[in-house]
Amino acid sequence: MEKVIQVRNLYKLYRVGEEIVRALDGVDFDIFRGEFCAIVGTSGSGKSTLLNMLAGLEKPTKGNVVIAGEHIEKMNEEQLVKFRRENVGFIFQSFHLLGTMNAVENVALPLSFRKVPRNVRIRKAERMLDLVNLRKHKKHFPNQMSGGQQQRVGVARALVVNPKIIFADEPTGNLDSHTSEEVMQLMKRVVKEQNKTLVMVTHDAHLATYADRVFHISDGKILKIENNQKERTRQNEEQE
Amino acid sequence: MSWMDLLRMSGSNLKRRKLRTFLTVLGVVIGTTSIVVMISLGLGMQQSLYREVEQSGGLTSIRVTGESAGDSMYSESGSESEDTAKYIDDELIKTLGTLEHVEASYPVYEMSVILLKGGYEGYGFLKAMPYEGLMEEKIPLAEGGKLPAESSSLELVYGNAVITDFQEKGGGESYWETGVLPNIDLAKDSLFLILDQDGYYNSQSGDMDMGSDYSAENDGESQPVKQVKKHVVKASGIVEGAPDDYNAHSSYIYCNLDTLVPILKKEFSGRVIPGQPTTSSGKAYKDFYYSSAQVKVDDIDQVNEVADSIRQMGYSVETNAEYLQSMQKEFAMIEAVLGGIGAVSLFVAAIGIANTMMMSIYERTKEIGVIKVLGCSLKNIKQMFLMEAAFIGLIGGVIGNIFSFFVSAVINAITGHGAAMGFDGDISYIPIWLVLVSLGIAMLVGIMAGYFPAKRAMQLSPLAAIRTE
Repeated sequence: MEKVIQVRNLYKLYRVGEEIVRALDGVDFDIFRGEFCAIVGTSGSGKSTLLNMLAGLEKPTKGNVVIAGEHIEKMNEEQLVKFRRENVGFIFQSFHLLGTMNAVENVALPLSFRKVPRNVRIRKAERMLDLVNLRKHKKHFPNQMSGGQQQRVGVARALVVNPKIIFADEPTGNLDSHTSEEVMQLMKRVVKEQNKTLVMVTHDAHLATYADRVFHISDGKILKIENNQKERTRQNEEQE
Repeated sequence: MSWMDLLRMSGSNLKRRKLRTFLTVLGVVIGTTSIVVMISLGLGMQQSLYREVEQSGGLTSIRVTGESAGDSMYSESGSESEDTAKYIDDELIKTLGTLEHVEASYPVYEMSVILLKGGYEGYGFLKAMPYEGLMEEKIPLAEGGKLPAESSSLELVYGNAVITDFQEKGGGESYWETGVLPNIDLAKDSLFLILDQDGYYNSQSGDMDMGSDYSAENDGESQPVKQVKKHVVKASGIVEGAPDDYNAHSSYIYCNLDTLVPILKKEFSGRVIPGQPTTSSGKAYKDFYYSSAQVKVDDIDQVNEVADSIRQMGYSVETNAEYLQSMQKEFAMIEAVLGGIGAVSLFVAAIGIANTMMMSIYERTKEIGVIKVLGCSLKNIKQMFLMEAAFIGLIGGVIGNIFSFFVSAVINAITGHGAAMGFDGDISYIPIWLVLVSLGIAMLVGIMAGYFPAKRAMQLSPLAAIRTE
């Protein structure tokens, strides 16, 4: 299987006053194409730092991050922006839709950074909104939509650029449990359909069960990697 | 991002905060207006100067003067050294005509005259030139008028403001005090023209002592006051314009020199024609001397050369080009000072733009972070903010210019299109280039004021942007 993300010996140290905090303390793992991975940990465990580093928002103190064959730890900010534009989709905890734009325009926004002509990107955005079941809300502005609807727009926005990897930072953190389930199911379905790699950070162990593999992280170290997929296949086999 | 997308985003961001945008734009409007109006005042002056030069023969004409002959409007320092005195006579006119690059040369004679009509009398200033000289003056005549050709009887061209010089005999109030024009139709009525002012005064003051003094001076023999000759004159034309309008011709009375000279010689035969130089013994010279000579040069580049060669002949020379050059320097100064005053308010507006942009960036920290995470390039972010600032500048510039035209129109209306200030034409003049330059400056100021805020927006860390809750 193709390795989309390779992390080797990753360290991130913060200086807090006199003390040095090890947010990441030597992390190694691989993520393969088409996988849905969850990074689970309590707050302060280093999971968000890890995601930021994978997405190129923070620079590691030491170690390598190779995404889609490129060493992103060596890139400057301009290159990182370009890298994100071409390879990465992002789903935020608090949705972060632009208030001046309606749903279609919000979804089409990342395409405009790629200089896609307006009519093409609107068509693509509309198709994505159909995919996330927001057919009726295309012209709605963020303040006219519920949290669940907004996050579905967020998912559509992450998918529209056809990225190699999608990062999701606590995507259901601002949603009630019922809506969370819906959004998780939607994400899982869409990712499987489109054969995308999804890396999700969450503190909710239950939500993590949607993932194929779960990375448990604590104090900057990966404690264990659960493989739900194997378990599922085993369960399936047992049932048979 | 394409330019269209950038424009759309910047535009929607400005629209989102209408009041703040409006206030910032207002600052630029005031700044632009003050610069444009201030400079337009300087340009108005310059414009009227150009017109004046145009009317007095353009840049290719040279005014040659010698010792004063005739009553010149300009006070010339007449150094009374009799032997070396340089007078403008027919011979000189001919000599000037033969100089290289000289197209034409003709004499000009200026003198004060008195006009009589019914109960009114008027003091005017007569400017006599040969027919072709009058042609060169490019006097704009009202409909039906023509320039006086050489003939046996005097025909005059009245300046449009000459009518205001008339007042009732015995010290009546003038037009400027009463606002009532004398009941004279200069175009149709026949008037009496008096060339011998001294004689006229003498006949008016009757047997006053001064009278005899004057006549004694005139030709040395004390003769009783005799009736002054009144010439009946008709108008051949009137300079275009209302009595209040000012132009280079408005206060002159023009006549044909070739007609005037024989008349003068006849009237003052044996005496000194007023304004003509006299010998040390008070006698008149044989020749008739002119006030000045106009020389027309065929090429604008040769004007200085011709002027120098005439100067070497011992005459005073004035060229419009020299006059214009010295005035242009002065006007450049005036415009710089006025523009500088206006620029202060534009500078204040620039600070306003910078402040608005900074506020905008603090407010949109999160948004900037999000679009950075989504892959908006740093260059695009900078461009977006610069464009917003430029927009503010441009909109302010456009409205400011429209407003300037309005203010300029008001100023011109109040000053009676320059007449109140003694200007020919509008006091405030806004040419197209000033509009374009001020638009450019307003936009540039916007961009410069937006530069540092935009750079700051570009350097915001995407991470910090997302963290802000």
